[in-house]
Amino acid sequence: MMISRRGLIANLGTLVLGNLPRQAMAGGSVALRFGLTPVLLTSDLDLLDHLGAYLQSASGRPVQLVTRRTYQEITTLLVSGQLDGAWICGYPFVQYRSQLELLAVPIWRAKPLYQSYLISDLSRNVTTIDQLAGDVHAFSDPDSNSGFLVTAAELARKGTKPDRFFRQIIFTYGHRNVVRAVASGLAASGSVDGYVYDVLSEVEPSLTGATRIVRKSDWFGFPPIACPASAVGSESTESLRRALLTMHQDEKGRAVLQALRLDSFAAEPPSLFDPIAANMALVRGLG
Amino acid sequence: MSPAGPLNRVPITIKVPVLVAVLMIAVGVVASERVLSGLASSQVRQIKGLTNAYLDGLTSSLIEPVLRGDPWEIFDVLDQARQLDAAVRPVETVVTDAAGLVLAGSNPRHAAIGSLLPREFPAGQEHQSKVLVREEASQAFVDRRLVVEGRTIGTLHAEFDISALLAERRNVFWTLLSTNAALTLVFVVLGWFAVFRMVQPMKVLADHLERSKSGAVRPIPAELLPSPDTEAGRLFRRFNSMAGAVGENVALAARLSDEERLASLGRLASGMAHEINNPLGGLFNAIDTLKKHGDKSLVRAQSLSLIERGLFGIREVVQAALATYRAKDAGRALAVSDFADVRLLLGPEIRRRHQDLDWSIMSEDIPELPGNPIRQAALNLLLNASAASGEGGRIRFAVRYEKPVLSVDVEDSGPGMSPEGITILTGSESYAIMRDGKGLGLWMVRRLVDDLSGRIEVSRSALGGAQIRLRIDGARGIEQSDAA
Repeated sequence: MMISRRGLIANLGTLVLGNLPRQAMAGGSVALRFGLTPVLLTSDLDLLDHLGAYLQSASGRPVQLVTRRTYQEITTLLVSGQLDGAWICGYPFVQYRSQLELLAVPIWRAKPLYQSYLISDLSRNVTTIDQLAGDVHAFSDPDSNSGFLVTAAELARKGTKPDRFFRQIIFTYGHRNVVRAVASGLAASGSVDGYVYDVLSEVEPSLTGATRIVRKSDWFGFPPIACPASAVGSESTESLRRALLTMHQDEKGRAVLQALRLDSFAAEPPSLFDPIAANMALVRGLG
Repeated sequence: MSPAGPLNRVPITIKVPVLVAVLMIAVGVVASERVLSGLASSQVRQIKGLTNAYLDGLTSSLIEPVLRGDPWEIFDVLDQARQLDAAVRPVETVVTDAAGLVLAGSNPRHAAIGSLLPREFPAGQEHQSKVLVREEASQAFVDRRLVVEGRTIGTLHAEFDISALLAERRNVFWTLLSTNAALTLVFVVLGWFAVFRMVQPMKVLADHLERSKSGAVRPIPAELLPSPDTEAGRLFRRFNSMAGAVGENVALAARLSDEERLASLGRLASGMAHEINNPLGGLFNAIDTLKKHGDKSLVRAQSLSLIERGLFGIREVVQAALATYRAKDAGRALAVSDFADVRLLLGPEIRRRHQDLDWSIMSEDIPELPGNPIRQAALNLLLNASAASGEGGRIRFAVRYEKPVLSVDVEDSGPGMSPEGITILTGSESYAIMRDGKGLGLWMVRRLVDDLSGRIEVSRSALGGAQIRLRIDGARGIEQSDAA
């Protein structure tokens, strides 16, 4: 079943975007606070509406979706317990490993994995990262795995750092913005989430059409949904986990998954993110 | 009077409507120029207003990212703002840092990060709300400094596409041109028609005045008379009154002329009687002598001779009378004998005043001209000269024919021609009216010569009095002269 816009608008009365702290909603229930990072296509308000509506219906509680411009802002809110759960990136998860627990990991194309892409202008004939030396390079976020760490780690293996290897690096705080920066010519190359790039190729081919993929990285754990370690087992956390893990069994949930081009959410072990942790260690080791 | 230029010769019925048309066109052109000039100024103000408003909106959004040196944020602001405005479309916006290097531009491929400002932008000019318009390229450029706490942290450069405004101006220009042209054409036609109607009475008047040059002044017919309430109506009626007065004058002059002719005839008859009476006494004496002494051959011969001379004298007088009557045959051509008749007619006056007449006909070849008017004119001038010269005066008469002009000169030893007399003969007023009936003979001469399209010259004679010369073009012939 498709989610109707009218139904969503009816639910908007209980859906509040980005208002903290926790608000008591009508009927005395306490709102579930769910954070979103730019790993998602956050510009798609319809998608946010669908997701909020589904979580609200699945958890039986009002849902408060919280969005912020940077990963760091959402991670800070999550770690400090101001959110019940958040869709973060694998890199912040391993950075704050001791303070966070996994709730669920998205399954994309049957795997809980994704890649980082190096992209450049379509007109350039480049196939390796070495050919990008001296570029103006667009990253998504300094706390993004695919949009920064993967490329930084690759350079670290070569004994260099992004700000030395590239002429100038710019942070666009959004994977879609990385594609816009490269497509417009503002940046000569960029590091972008492979999942976002592929979805964009499908929904906005004119944007990605001006770019080319220079190389695809190894597979890494897909950006997970995490909760504060201190909140594990709480009613809020558990209701959120259930809502996520059963999303593919629900009609509204499937509509959301379809919009996100995901199969489902699954429980995965934290070790899924060990390669990211290794990269982080590598980059930190370089100083 | 200065000679009329080609323009002055154009009739007023053409000149005035053409002038109106030219004025209409001039007004159309000036009005169009003013409107377009006003539109251009208004558009420049509009461009300034729109671009300044656009830049004002951008400036506040750009301060923070420029302070942070964040190319993406700057690009994002410029990129999204580009899609907002419709009145003036920004073609390209570029933000440079304090050193003049590009921080980010809406078209990074043209203005790359860290490069110098592209050459298309007016270099080194911070217009500060002044808009640089390049109409030939449909571009407008404007700069805006980004200032924080009195310090310039960068400059926003913008290029706008003003082709829509210019197209609007072109559109207005053509609309104005076509509308004005159409209106001007309509007004020209209407103006032409209206003015033509207005000046039409002038044409009627001018035509009648023109016609009066070749004859009597004829009044304007009643059917052509406009209403008396109108200016033209009053003018026409005044003209008709004047024409009537002139006609009466001419009629009066003709009547006076006839009376003078009758008076002349009377004088002639009296002279003739006198001339016949003189020899009659001698004749009767001779007859008495013949009766008494007719048997003596010497006496008889002397008496017959006396009778013969007396009869010759009477025949001369009778011939003169006949010559006067011959004047009635109007269509007859001039002949040398006409001048002999004049001399004959003049004879009694000359003799009576014991005057000396110098008579010379210098050509046997006489042009074919109407005889009567020339003879009449010559006689009048001679009678006038005889009267002016007085007792024992001298008169000279000469006829010359130098093809094609026939000259008739009459000189006298009198006191000379009075100014009034000269005016009657040579004045521009063809039919000067005599106030007291004097100068009627001269007036007749003038009319006769005018009818022959001849010319009269008055000068001082070597004899001491006036010299009057008639010059008549012999090429005109009898028919033309009569027709005239």
